[in-house]
Amino acid sequence: MRSMRVNDHPVLGSLEKQKKIKIYFDGKSYEAYEGDTIASALLASGVRTLRKHEDKNTPRGIYCNIGHCFECRVQLNGKNTVRACLTPVENNMKIESNISLSSMSPKGGTL
Amino acid sequence: MSESRTVICRCEEITLEEIKETVERFQCSSREIKLRTRAGMGPCGGRTCRGMIDRVVEQMGGPAISDEVSLSYRPPVRPVSFGVLGGETK
Repeated sequence: MRSMRVNDHPVLGSLEKQKKIKIYFDGKSYEAYEGDTIASALLASGVRTLRKHEDKNTPRGIYCNIGHCFECRVQLNGKNTVRACLTPVENNMKIESNISLSSMSPKGGTL
Repeated sequence: MSESRTVICRCEEITLEEIKETVERFQCSSREIKLRTRAGMGPCGGRTCRGMIDRVVEQMGGPAISDEVSLSYRPPVRPVSFGVLGGETK
């Protein structure tokens, strides 16, 4: 997919040369720059859906981008849940969408 | 955008329509809205929707917003993993 990264900004100027690293999101490899957050690296690669809502299964991505809303949480290296917008990328980082529970989980009854 | 598509609480995906229906049906406070719909009980801890829920309830004739916080803050103030609570250091 074509990169969505802003390389030339009318106010901020041109992006300086960055060191490229590789990250994996749901098993697929993406290119990132050192200093990217997970969210910025994936958005630059055209990935807008970071997870599905656990119950409703609707897509979720970056919302506030300042660590406030917890919409962008992803699983890191099969273990910790982190906010993609606050977590800097590292080389060979393995990122996964949080698992949606909608089809398997029992419902808690209705009102 | 229609009220059925306007999401107030993103964490629990509760729409404006659902909140309004609950206020109308139960004539309730914002705290009761939270307990009935789960709006404000998701991972962000109500940071995103607290003010909107308070405002909707007030506009629909519920109790006026006072200086006191109607939707209370409870520990942990930020979401913490069980690992951290259990003493995991990284």
